[in-house]
Order: sequence, then structure tokens, then C-alpha cells
Amino acid sequence: MPPSRTGEAREALVAALAAVARQDRAALRQVYDLTSAKLFGICLRICGDRGSAEDVLQAVYLKIWDRAGQFDAARASPITWLAAIARNSAIDWRRSAAVRGSGAVAGDGGALAVADETPLADQQLLADEADARLHRCLGELDPRAQGCIRSAFFDGLTYAELAARENVPLGTMKSWIRRGLMRLKNCLGDG
Amino acid sequence: MDEPLTPEQDREALAAELALGLLDGQARADALRLRLGDPVFAALVEAWEVKLSPLYSEWPAADPGGDVWNRIDASLADAPVKDVAVIETRLRRWRASALLSGAVAAALALVLLVQPVPAPVPAAPQLAVARIESAAEGPVVLARYDRTSGVMRLQIAGIDAGALTPELWVIPAGRDPVSLGQIGRAGTAEIALPASHRPLLQDGATLAITMEPMSATPHAAPSSAPVAAGKIISI
Repeated sequence: MPPSRTGEAREALVAALAAVARQDRAALRQVYDLTSAKLFGICLRICGDRGSAEDVLQAVYLKIWDRAGQFDAARASPITWLAAIARNSAIDWRRSAAVRGSGAVAGDGGALAVADETPLADQQLLADEADARLHRCLGELDPRAQGCIRSAFFDGLTYAELAARENVPLGTMKSWIRRGLMRLKNCLGDG
Repeated sequence: MDEPLTPEQDREALAAELALGLLDGQARADALRLRLGDPVFAALVEAWEVKLSPLYSEWPAADPGGDVWNRIDASLADAPVKDVAVIETRLRRWRASALLSGAVAAALALVLLVQPVPAPVPAAPQLAVARIESAAEGPVVLARYDRTSGVMRLQIAGIDAGALTPELWVIPAGRDPVSLGQIGRAGTAEIALPASHRPLLQDGATLAITMEPMSATPHAAPSSAPVAAGKIISI
């Protein structure tokens, strides 16, 4: 993972987003080509089925079209900014699907589960994220808290869904995770 | 390690819970409302989003069908064409809002609009108003709601052209947002509220606007943070 390739990929994406902010449709296509597999992976895992994930992905790129001017390369990496839009959109879909009482929401994303311990995608774009500390701090947590925090992030599970999956009372689940989060903050904060 | 969290820790944990997406139903609605009204809390949420962002590198990629791009392209073709001046204005607004609150939507100031109204005879009218706006230079929508007729009149300004459409929401105190439908980007509009929605427009309820994919029917829930919000007050 030579840093130059990472930098080039990021610069290409930053430039494309700047062009999208000027309403350049060819640039949106370029952003789509560079990032749609990554963002679809996020939508698919959280939504649980391809049809819904494709609907969410479509909405994600329309949001990117409208919001590209808000992206600030000094504050976030472009792929992180885009991935956050995809994750938040997929979670919004999941929560509103739950409200609608749709049976389409997979309980735990089990069918799509992947090995969380194996980082896979987009190394060129993401290699220079400062992630070693987060992974070290997550690794220092109680394994249950760590597993549940990861499931919340990757599968979009709520407290209630996590409690049901782990077969513990809701209050117990909240206590595990909240204490885990506070420990995580302390670990991240003290460097 | 098992003593209760301090109030500061509790607030911090709530921010983390919202960033992680652990909350649902009422708890989620409450936290989203807090993020809208409290810039300090909004900054905590954003800080947690940043803390967790390295995890994005672990997500496996998946190939969407080729049809998705065609649908995106078709949606863009339907969006109105914008002139350069509009784009320039928009970029300035984005920069302004980025200074205030970072990459997400502007932090929102809630401003109440009170104005005297002549008392007609025989019964005093039941009027409610709201000024729906963002802290940055952005959308400003004035809403005037007549409880007797159930009609809301809107004056809309400052919503930029784009692929997404403004949608109006009412958020009763302590409850989830309910869509009142999509509105235009400028000018005036009149919404006749269905009887089921009229009780939602109480004092203290919030009116908010989010940008959503175009839809003939109201969405079940907003898909993003509001671009503007304001509280309802009876006059």
C-alpha cells in the first residue's frame, strides 16, 4: 500500500466531489464508479436485502449530489464522509422499516454476516486512516461489549435487537455497551 | 467500575449511542431533537462519528446492479437546471454552515415569531405560527396555521434547487416526526391538514424541513438532519 497510491485515490475523489458540488454529472458518475461497491456493501449489510439496499444506494447518491459542497477535505477523508452518508441512510431506512412493521428487516444481518476480524475493502482509499488506536482500544474492551458495539456499527442493530440476540435484559445490554463506550473514550483520549 | 455514570458521562454516552445508531423509537427521537437544539451535544455526536470512522475500512464491498446508476441518472435528469449565480450562493451558504457546524447540516436556532392579531368576532381565532429557519444563511419558511380550518399557509424562501425535495415535518414534543408532505422551493403554499394530523400542531411542537427524494406520498421518517426548524407558538 504505497502512500502515493493512497494519496492519489483520495485526491481523485476529492476532486470529483468538488466537481459534483458544481453540478457536474460526469463527476458524480466518477464518484459512483470509485465508491459504489463500498457504499453498496454498507447498505446491503444494514438493509439485509438487495432491493432495499439498491433503493437506499440510489437515495445516497442523490444526497451526495445535493451535499457535495458541504464536504470539507480538511475535516474528513472523502470515503469516510461518503460512507457515513450511506450508513446513516441505511440505518434510517432500517428504523423506519421497523416502524412500518416490515418483516423485511433482517434480525441480525446473519445471512450477510462477514468475518469482522478480516479487514477487506478499499485499502488504497482507507490505508492512511489512523485506525490502529481504535482497533487497539476496541480490543481492550470486554469481549461482549466489543462484539455488541461492532454489531451496532456494522449491522445497524439497536439496543433492543442486541438484547434479544444475546438473550439478556435490555438494561443489561445498555449497561455493557455504555460502560464499554466510556472505556473506549478513555482509551482513545489518553493516546 | 460499576458506579453509575455522572451526568457528563451520561450525555457523552447518549452522543455515542446516537452516533452508533443504537437508539430507536422515542429514545432516538429525543436524541435527534437534542442534537438539533444543542450545538454542544451535536459536537459530541460528531466527535464520536469521527472516533468510529476507522471502522469503515472493514466493510466488505458488494456490487450493486447496473440499474442503480440508471435510476440515479434519471433522477438527476428530472432535477431543475441551475444557473451559476444560484450555485455560487449555495457554495457560500455551505461554507458558512461548515464553519458553524462542520460537514453536516447547520446547527439550528429556534426562533419564535409572535405577532398581535386582531380579535375577530365571535370567537377568537386559533392561530399558530412558526418561523422555520437555519442558523446559517439558508431556508426560511414562515408557517401560519389556522386551527379552525386546519389549513397551514407557508411562505417559502431560500431553498436551493437540487435533486432532493423539501419535506415538511411536525415533531410533537417528545414524539417522532410526522410528515406533512413535500413542499415547493419558493413562493407560497397551502396545506390542508388531515384531521388525524391536526392535534399534532400544539404549542412547543417543532416544524422542520428535510431534503428528501421526491415522493408522491409523505415519507414515514426523515432520512437526514433538518435544513431548518422552528417551534410552533399560538398567537
